[in-house]
Amino acid sequence: MRTKIYTLIFVALAFLINTKSFAQEVNLKNYRVRFGLSTTKQADNSRKLEVSYIASNKKDRKDRVPIYGADINFYNVTEDKDILLGTAKTDKEGTAQLIVPAKQAYTANAEGYINLKAVFDGTDALDSEEDELAIKDVFLELNLKEIDSVKTVILNAYTLDSLQTKIPIDETEIVFSIGGMISNMPIKREFVSDGAFKFEFPEHISGDKNGNVDVFASIIDNDNYGNVIQKKNIDWGINKQITHETNKLWSEAAPIWMYVVLSILLIGVWANYAYSIKNLFDIKKEGKELELKSQNEN
Amino acid sequence: MDVIKRKKELVQEFSPMLEKSTKTSKVWIAFLVGVILVGLVAFVIQVVKGHIVTGMRDNVVWGIYIINFIFFVCLSYSGAFISGILHFFKTPWKNSVSRIVEIITVLSLIIGPIFILLCIGRLDRLYYLFLYPRIQSPITWDIIAIMTDLLGCFIYLYLTFIPDFAMLRDNSENAPKWRQKLYKTLAIKYYDTPTQRETLHKITRTMSVMVIALAIVAYSVLAWIFSLTLQPGWNSSIFAPYFIIAGLYSGVSVIIIAMYLIRKFYHLDHYIRKVHFMGAGVILLIISLLFGYFTFSEYFSRWFSHKIEDVKLLDTLFNRYFWNFIFANYIGVLVPVVILFFKKFRTIKSVTFAAVIAILGLYMNRYLIVVPTLESPYMPIQDTRPEYIQYTATWIEWALSFAGIAAFILFFILIMKLVPIIPMSGIIDHEREQKRKPHLSNNH
Amino acid sequence: MANKKTENGSENRRNFLRLGLMSSVSAVAGASLISNLATGEEKKASGEKVRVLTPDGKMVEVDAESINNYPEAVITPEESRKGIPDKKFVMVIDLSKCKNARKCVEGCQKAHKLDDHQEFMKVQLMQNNEEGSPYWLPKPCFHCDEPPCVTVCPTGATFKRDDGIVLIDNERCIGCKFCITSCPYSARTFNWGHKEKFDDKSQPYSPETQVPAAEGTVMKCDFCPDMLRQGKLPYCASSCPMGVIYFGDKNEDIVTNGTETVSFSQLIKDRGGYRHLEHLGTKPNVYYLPAVNRQFPVERGFDVDEEILDRYKDVPIVKEFKEQGKL
Ligand code: SF4
Ligand code: SF4
Ligand code: SF4
Repeated sequence: MRTKIYTLIFVALAFLINTKSFAQEVNLKNYRVRFGLSTTKQADNSRKLEVSYIASNKKDRKDRVPIYGADINFYNVTEDKDILLGTAKTDKEGTAQLIVPAKQAYTANAEGYINLKAVFDGTDALDSEEDELAIKDVFLELNLKEIDSVKTVILNAYTLDSLQTKIPIDETEIVFSIGGMISNMPIKREFVSDGAFKFEFPEHISGDKNGNVDVFASIIDNDNYGNVIQKKNIDWGINKQITHETNKLWSEAAPIWMYVVLSILLIGVWANYAYSIKNLFDIKKEGKELELKSQNEN
Repeated sequence: MDVIKRKKELVQEFSPMLEKSTKTSKVWIAFLVGVILVGLVAFVIQVVKGHIVTGMRDNVVWGIYIINFIFFVCLSYSGAFISGILHFFKTPWKNSVSRIVEIITVLSLIIGPIFILLCIGRLDRLYYLFLYPRIQSPITWDIIAIMTDLLGCFIYLYLTFIPDFAMLRDNSENAPKWRQKLYKTLAIKYYDTPTQRETLHKITRTMSVMVIALAIVAYSVLAWIFSLTLQPGWNSSIFAPYFIIAGLYSGVSVIIIAMYLIRKFYHLDHYIRKVHFMGAGVILLIISLLFGYFTFSEYFSRWFSHKIEDVKLLDTLFNRYFWNFIFANYIGVLVPVVILFFKKFRTIKSVTFAAVIAILGLYMNRYLIVVPTLESPYMPIQDTRPEYIQYTATWIEWALSFAGIAAFILFFILIMKLVPIIPMSGIIDHEREQKRKPHLSNNH
Repeated sequence: MANKKTENGSENRRNFLRLGLMSSVSAVAGASLISNLATGEEKKASGEKVRVLTPDGKMVEVDAESINNYPEAVITPEESRKGIPDKKFVMVIDLSKCKNARKCVEGCQKAHKLDDHQEFMKVQLMQNNEEGSPYWLPKPCFHCDEPPCVTVCPTGATFKRDDGIVLIDNERCIGCKFCITSCPYSARTFNWGHKEKFDDKSQPYSPETQVPAAEGTVMKCDFCPDMLRQGKLPYCASSCPMGVIYFGDKNEDIVTNGTETVSFSQLIKDRGGYRHLEHLGTKPNVYYLPAVNRQFPVERGFDVDEEILDRYKDVPIVKEFKEQGKL
């Protein structure tokens, strides 16, 4: 949380005191504004609401300018009133995001659709914008089971009606993928009918160092459901062992024999030097005695 | 006590060399100091502006600095090697040259490493070599080898100087105070008693063996800096012995040139005689043959097996560097061989001339090992900036190189002002020997 | 903290690979990022100017850096020696799709504040023999598993981490250049003189970004660990419009070019992946997919500045083209 606050302050400051920035009046008539709302139900059942707010030049398609720092209000629309879910500012890519916690209860209409709305109130320069979305709340149940020692991925997808009865979804494309560090790797893509699908988990999936794999099932950009992601973790990876080599030529510590050889060589040589120097002192001592003797004799 | 008398005589004979400064020598010294000063200016410019003032760039990251480094360090190692052998085997005519060799050894070992420092981008962090050492790196080996060798050579050189210091101490009543004092300290109360003499001989002998061994190790380590990399022109298993031979080649040549100059300027015809030049000439002949043989093997095997990278390298050598290659590896070897091979060609002058050709050829040979290799790496150089494609040394680099040579000569002259260039103790020893076994000796 | 990366349907994606919402929820040590703030996720592109529109109708150009700073994400030289735990990074470059667009070079240069012609990523025109088919070869550092450059470094300024990345600590480097002569792939560059940008200490130095650079020290491609810690692709991979460069974790066996995510081992197997100059035994971590079934003829790559084109003058095909007056 502290990070968030810091970053927020930092961003605000940076933006305010940024000397390098310069403003320029634009003729907004040349620009067509796109204001789009999308939603994603995430694996933890929270829901992400996202607005993309970008002005694009009518003539030059490549000239796209995000609107930065615009306040966007998100609502749950019901028959009698709009319930404010939260507010977010657009970032420099023109995106505003709001994560609505899982426990949020939405009001759905008679057909079971939740109406969501994003609103930008407008300023002197920019018109107000609004986008609405109606989606059904889908539940993806992802099960990973070994059936007769075959690793199987089982998916059930349904919606709930007002009496909480499960209604399987039909003819909906579901993508299965494996979690990756940078991006997820798809392993199956299927139109599901009757709300159920199962398939054999592919071999040769590596997973992390303990062989744990994140398996994802997702519905993407669906007219009825928006985006939905479900995720399960299981140790079905083939668990590639990571070995770290030591005492190599390139590692921090050298191969042992190098230390041994070098020490022997150096000790040998330097011992010899020491021996020579000791002998020089012997010579000196003898000379001194000689001097003393001759002094005494004189 | 005729030994004492003889000692006095010798000191008297050599003291003019130590004391008087002729006009020519003053002019020389002034000239050398001038060259060194120009070098210092170049150095300051390089430190202030960075390595951008050199001709080195991302592909040829090491230029003539490293060539000077190899040249001087090899010179030193070969000096150590030769002097160790002279001492160990009690070579009959060693006395006239041994001190020249020893001085060359130590001086080039001091000057050589300066050139490697010039290659280093962050001199201010040099101590990191000791703070964060990694013994896998050939550079670390090289540093250890150079330091060990430097100390070893110092001890060894000092050992051979002690008897002369003692003689100078006992016989320079007329010399200035500081000189007397210096000789007294340096002579560490050596009175040439039989036990002292024996101890000194014993440790000089072991040190001479040590110095030979060290020279071989140090040569190899130096060669490994190049041959342990994957570069097409460097990755060669004969590089270590090749460097030893090349070092001896330059070492013997420099000795011959030094003998010639010293003989000429100090009128030491009595001590440095034709027989020395003839002997050195024969050695140079043998080494030049060996050197030619190694050079031939090196390039022949590359040409014969014609791996693609080797062919690329040879192409560069035979096109852009054609004349350099001819000079380095044909003229630089064949001319000395021809001059030295035929007895009637061997005169003091011609042997010296052969030595000069040998040194120039060898320097070019080193250049051709370093620069063209770096100009033809595995991945073709595709760059927009011409200076990144081809190396040309800038005046900064040349100024510093000549400053190195000047410093070498200058220090040589200064050391000769401190101790006689012909070891007097050696003459005494020799005469002592001769008295005991007169048949053994045929010169002096 | 997890960094969620979200993609919504973008036009240029092919159908099967349409992977919206392939959000990766991998915790990467060291960098904690803010995902659900209004200010959201931002690209850390140094020196880059971003043009945005403010709600009061002004078009403003802001320094991307000033709104993208992750104070906690600076990895000190000490920290950068450790590597990202349990990873083993690998790059796959698909030569059949490269047309010398040079976007990878530019993206990388911008991010690392490199001058013109100082390139971590070089695009070379290769023609193995006179008859051989010429092809474009984007060449970063190969992050070798037996890196000769690391072996020879006398101070340990260049080092190999447990995640396979070979980096240089320019606060340790003494500039001996031995590593440059040891790298058979000419991957390294040297800072020969002083430049003003070296004095800009506004961004704390990290070997992972190599910014600010320092005079008399060595630099090279670093595989962009700063991006990897955020779960993002290296700049070169994300800037390539052709999706030539795949990047990923070998342990995970997944590589992606931003639009397509595939199994690394499968890709190498199916497409005959190889490593450049394998016989040198350096064991690179950059693999190439051979230039077969090309998407573009090689001459598409000649559409570059005269200056750049001039680099390739020694390649047989360029000579040929010049003779025929096609260039
Ligand atoms: S490509 Fe060169 S710089 Fe990179 S790791 Fe390999 S040897 Fe080192
Ligand atoms: S130049 Fe720097 S990184 Fe390269 S070997 Fe020398 S100290 Fe190491
Ligand atoms: S991985 Fe990073 S440093 Fe390397 S070439 Fe790509 S962008 Fe440049």
